[in-house]
Amino acid sequence: MTLFETVFSGNDAVYGLTENAINAAIEQHGADKAISFPDTAYSLPCYYAVTGVKVATLGELKEALGVVKTLMTREMKTHDVFMSGVATALCAEFIEVLKYIDGATPYEAPCAGHVPDAIIRELGVPLVTGDIPGVAVILGSAPTTEEGVALVKSYQAQGILVTLVGGIIDQVEEAGMKTGANVRVIPLGKDVTAVIHVVSIALRAALIFGNVKPGDAASLMTYTKDRVPAFVNAFAPLDDVIVACGAGAIALGFPVITNQEGVSEVPKSLICQPDVEKFNATSLEARDIKIKITNIDIPVAYASAFEGEIIRRG
Amino acid sequence: MSEFKLTTVEEFEAATERLLETGAKVGADAWQFRVKNQTPHCKFGEEGVCCRICSMGPCRITKKAPRGICGCDVHGIVGRNYLKFTAGGSATHSDHGREICHTLYESSADGCYQVKDPEKLIRIAKEWGVETEGKDIYDLAHEVAEMGLWEYGKPFGTQRFLKRAPQSQQELWEKNELAPRAIDREVSCSLHMAHMGCSSLPEALIKQSIRAGLSDGWGGSMMGTEFSDVLFGTPKPIDTEANLGVMVEENVNIVVHGHDPSLSEMVCEYADSPEMIAYAKEMGAKGITVSGVCCTSNEVAMRRGIPMAGNFLQQENVVLTGACEAIVVDVQCIFPALGPLSKCFHTKFITTSPIAQMPDSEFIRFDAKTADEKAKLIVKTAIENFKNRKPELVHIPQLKQKATVGYSVEAIIKCLDGVANSQVDEMGTVKPLLQCVTSGVLRGAVAMVGCNNPRIRPDLAHIELMKKLIANDIVIIASGCSAQAAAKAGLMDKRAKDICGDGLKRVCELADIPPVLHMGSCVDISRMMILASELAKCAGTHVSQLPVVGCAPEWMSEKAVSIGNYVIGTGIDTFLGVDPYVSGSSEIAEILTNGTREWVEAAFTVEKDIDKLGDAMIARIEEKRAALGI
Repeated sequence: MTLFETVFSGNDAVYGLTENAINAAIEQHGADKAISFPDTAYSLPCYYAVTGVKVATLGELKEALGVVKTLMTREMKTHDVFMSGVATALCAEFIEVLKYIDGATPYEAPCAGHVPDAIIRELGVPLVTGDIPGVAVILGSAPTTEEGVALVKSYQAQGILVTLVGGIIDQVEEAGMKTGANVRVIPLGKDVTAVIHVVSIALRAALIFGNVKPGDAASLMTYTKDRVPAFVNAFAPLDDVIVACGAGAIALGFPVITNQEGVSEVPKSLICQPDVEKFNATSLEARDIKIKITNIDIPVAYASAFEGEIIRRG
Repeated sequence: MSEFKLTTVEEFEAATERLLETGAKVGADAWQFRVKNQTPHCKFGEEGVCCRICSMGPCRITKKAPRGICGCDVHGIVGRNYLKFTAGGSATHSDHGREICHTLYESSADGCYQVKDPEKLIRIAKEWGVETEGKDIYDLAHEVAEMGLWEYGKPFGTQRFLKRAPQSQQELWEKNELAPRAIDREVSCSLHMAHMGCSSLPEALIKQSIRAGLSDGWGGSMMGTEFSDVLFGTPKPIDTEANLGVMVEENVNIVVHGHDPSLSEMVCEYADSPEMIAYAKEMGAKGITVSGVCCTSNEVAMRRGIPMAGNFLQQENVVLTGACEAIVVDVQCIFPALGPLSKCFHTKFITTSPIAQMPDSEFIRFDAKTADEKAKLIVKTAIENFKNRKPELVHIPQLKQKATVGYSVEAIIKCLDGVANSQVDEMGTVKPLLQCVTSGVLRGAVAMVGCNNPRIRPDLAHIELMKKLIANDIVIIASGCSAQAAAKAGLMDKRAKDICGDGLKRVCELADIPPVLHMGSCVDISRMMILASELAKCAGTHVSQLPVVGCAPEWMSEKAVSIGNYVIGTGIDTFLGVDPYVSGSSEIAEILTNGTREWVEAAFTVEKDIDKLGDAMIARIEEKRAALGI
């Protein structure tokens, strides 16, 4: 299967899941049931950023899914692949918002799930000043816990904001690493759809700091490409859904680095790096992140990421 | 940043109309009128069924007279005409290449010409098995130049550069007796075969056409390009401007036109000297502007960023501005009409080559040994002519676009290094380009080349096809007058990425390139052959399997036919917008559009409807992708 066909197939799969989930929710709660993410002024932030439309009820969500369907064109062109990637992300957001019906708390520590506006506003300033030089999105399980934790720590030491999705969360926990927005390592959730919560961070950054008009998809993608220095590290094995999500990331200007051999590589966008130890250097080069590091030889880690760390007794 | 907008063909035409008004005032002739006088064209000639190779004729083939006096049928006549057409083109490029070899042979540390890219010279020398260690660079230059010159007439063996092609193509050439031997021999052999009472077998005639073409592309043209780089520097991305608006009213305007950079480089050098600029000021001008027409323009634009005043059918417009002090020409594609036309103005029409001598011109014989004094004389002549301008006739259309040019194979690879990842990739390869194509981000590449032809609304086919292709994520490499059409329209402005498909747009942004890459002059199509070969080698495929095609939508010259033959000869399907005088023979047409596949895995497609021509190219590219499973 060609790369484009893989993306389309992953997108179709996610779309099918989303359609079923929305239909089931409507059957259970009725079309007028209110839906929302907690602590945000941007409704379903990704859908709102892309279309300019706010979604408040399950019925509206179903309509929105119809709009998403129109993004799923199937010509063998990068445009179609990009839009399919965006459609995949939006479907993920729909699936995720369903988890929050009736003020449910679907995510528990260490997972954050949806990230409130307040934290984005807080992280936004260091992002703009370059104090946070990048945003890493780590997806899947590293080949070994050691490699996964070493990777996360390497980013943390560079002041990069790290978000985790999937098995890597368990690996980090297993190693006893401290996580949370205060140390700039945010486990989002274990389902692949939880990745939308970091996309949501990027897109809200564009709305809040970039003054991008909701619904102006082209400016949105230019802003994220030029201003949000994010990148994705996706561990093998990659399935079609992950590849489709990856297309969405690439559409926003975020390169994807994977150790999955045999993927159809795209320079600066989809890069195969079999050696996880080199993920950090490969990713930073791909995203043109240049970090000047002054190494201070001390026995503990030292980075701005640890500024919010809380020292407990014992 | 100002709003980016392409210049339309309508705007080109309006500018031309205005210039023709000036022409009318002074009684100037123009190609637009001469086309009318020649229309309708002779049908026998158009179909290629008229033969005048002996004095029993002229013969022409009709239903009533199916054979010439010697008994040759229509297929033999059309095939011979086609072969002679090719030989003319091959001879032309090859003689250009020979001149460059001679210039290289004349180069010396303190002479008119130096070796500007010694690294490239050493690379070629090594490729040819010449010992380079501890050798003076000029001794090496002379040795390599002499070897190059032997390529024209060596009694044994085939062209040295053929080894650059992928093995599979070399095998096809060997197997089908297509590997070109000495360059001059192929031209001469072609003329022999086309003599009365020699070949009239269609297959034999077309095979020789391909071989003569290959002797051009992988012989004469390739040496012309490679040694021009050695002498004048290998092109690197450089910003310039295109269209008549590059001429400056307050300055002495010198226009270089023709092909051989040995002349134009020297003229540029002197025009840029403080001494000449001071002299121009003394004569009442503010400075000196050199601009170019046709391929010599491409050469100096690629290496020096000299602006491009226009392409083939704009050559008369340059004079019609009334602001051209001198149009300096060497060889090829120079309208003899420039002589009488320049007489209507103050313009000096300066011919420089014994190969292209014309009435109503001032002949300043240019040669490698006296290049500096001749170039100085030419520039001085132009400067002194400034005072003769007739101000009432001066009108320079204010149309121009920015262009980034200079994409030699070396420069393209350097751009690709910029998007490679040093943690993963090897540097200095075409792999990133191949990855873009394999993944589908780019659907393929089209080499757009060739001339203008009054049969087609000038530049429209070039520009419309390019717009269509780039919107479909197909990257364009362009040369010759096609490249200039693109530059004039604005397609070589990096901002043109915005009218591309998302895939090509992203590639342009990441690699910081325009969507249409200027690879140089017509001899520089040899660069494209090298690029295609490198891609095939990197992909481990035949050239013919790559989703790459060639296109000459407005072709005109014999050179274009020679080019077409070596492009298909290299395994690249080629699309033509003008029929090469073969419609009179079903057999020749069949061989050229299909039969050649058996020998070289590629063939021509002729389609006069330009929109359909574009669709056919896209369809072919997608077919090749499907066959590769990408």
